Amino acid sequence: MKHLVLLLGLTGSMVPRLGAQGSTQDLLQQASEFYERLDVERALPLLRQIVSPNWPFEVTSGQRVDAYKYLGACLALVGKRDSATLYFRAAVERDPFADLDPAIFTPAQLRLFGEARRLTFAVAVRPVAPARIDPRTQRLTFAVVTTHAGSVEIALRPVSSDSAVSLFRGVNDGPRDVAWDGLLADRHLAPPGRYELRVTGSSQLLRRADSAVIYFEIRHEIAPLEDTLPELTARDLLPEQLSKSAATRDLLRGLGVAGAALLISDVLASRQLGGSLKLGSAAVAGTAVATGAVAFAGDRRHPAIPGNIVANARRRAERAGQNAAIRGRNAAKTAATVLLVTPAAGVGP
Amino acid sequence: MGIALSPGQALAQRAVTAFASLSVAEHRVEAGYGVERAWGAILGGGASLRLGTRVELGLRVQGGRLNTSAPGAVDRDVGEVGLEADVRVVPWVTFRVGARRRTYSSVIARQGWTMVDVGPEVRLAFARGTISGVTRVALVPVVSVSGLPRPDVAVTGATGLQFRRRGLTLGTLYSLERYDFPADGAIARVEQLAAVTLRLDVGLGRR
Repeated sequence: MKHLVLLLGLTGSMVPRLGAQGSTQDLLQQASEFYERLDVERALPLLRQIVSPNWPFEVTSGQRVDAYKYLGACLALVGKRDSATLYFRAAVERDPFADLDPAIFTPAQLRLFGEARRLTFAVAVRPVAPARIDPRTQRLTFAVVTTHAGSVEIALRPVSSDSAVSLFRGVNDGPRDVAWDGLLADRHLAPPGRYELRVTGSSQLLRRADSAVIYFEIRHEIAPLEDTLPELTARDLLPEQLSKSAATRDLLRGLGVAGAALLISDVLASRQLGGSLKLGSAAVAGTAVATGAVAFAGDRRHPAIPGNIVANARRRAERAGQNAAIRGRNAAKTAATVLLVTPAAGVGP
Repeated sequence: MGIALSPGQALAQRAVTAFASLSVAEHRVEAGYGVERAWGAILGGGASLRLGTRVELGLRVQGGRLNTSAPGAVDRDVGEVGLEADVRVVPWVTFRVGARRRTYSSVIARQGWTMVDVGPEVRLAFARGTISGVTRVALVPVVSVSGLPRPDVAVTGATGLQFRRRGLTLGTLYSLERYDFPADGAIARVEQLAAVTLRLDVGLGRR
């Protein structure tokens, strides 16, 4: 019964998808039933068929790893320790995450499986699952494993850059979860794009090294940002200086009033009456000329228009304030960026 | 004397404007006995009401005494009431229609004048808008004078400056009215009233 549970545990996750897979699965099922009845002599040929290059049907990686583990378990039962270890190593080489459940397998089998792990050095990392990560509160976790103790470095980088951020560097033995906060080496949020996670390791028991790589895609989920207000142009601002013609215009207008006073007193007035309060018209004309001259000199000497300068400064300040508010809102939106993670096949589509 | 300053653009921001004026006027008359000259001071006052941004109505009252040293002439009092309507065509051009009733009174006679004048006023700001130059001319198509026929020529003209500051407008204006009456035999009567006016406008706020 214990072995039946083992078998179900090993194969329960295998869902037949194709007829060929069904054939492999059927054979694996038969082998497990023989193994359950301790009929190792009948189970072994079936398992060897599955791992044989001549087996005509498709064998998934998981089925092959299970077949190797059963072969190792069967051979361990019949006392063929070296052969058992060999098959266990084959399982571990193909799937460094492979393991035997201590509650199901016998201590002798576990011991041999552990021996196989010590004789084989491999590193692996599981592909990322699609995820939605808020970097402020969540982390993206990578599952990494080494078959036995080894020096490991786990580095992540955009495929378009050589600048990598190191997630782990040290000795590792067995599975390890490594969390990533979504930041790159410059402590900025990882921009959208494709990324590579590379695990490299070297055994502390053997003179062997291994590496594993996965790729994944990152996209940003961010609320639409607002555009800042454009620069103020000359059309948006009042003139801050009087033009040179303005001074001349003021002088001419003063002269114009003076001329009009003289015209009225000389031309409009009746010559027959011999006078038209000319002193009054001369006084008004003189005042107009003096005013025009003073305005002309003032415009030339002080061309700045203080009222317009103040009004323009107010407009600039209003625009700067509005842009600061927009930048603040955009910064808040950017800070709330969510990373959308999806697995990828390689460095590019 | 017949033409008064109108409120400047800054005061036009206020709906109601009151003003007071002081004129030095010279009245000249030629009626076949040589030029008779009289002059004196005339005090005036009034108010204007702005309707919207283009129309302004005004009421004006003024009066004074004109003294003369001409032999055989007598001093006279002058009083006038006038109504004006201004319509701004463009920011610097206004058309004005005015109706006035003027009375000359002396110990020997009393003469009433009724006039309606029409004409443009040009207003050009300078010195950064604090000063405006004002010039206007007008025809007087309607003139009714007691005891006299309708004049052949009736024109007025005025020009001057307005200084604006904080709701106050101080103006100085030279004005002239000329009336040429038809000849009665060999004698042609000509009258002319010239004045230099100092006027202060005060904005009273919105109504």
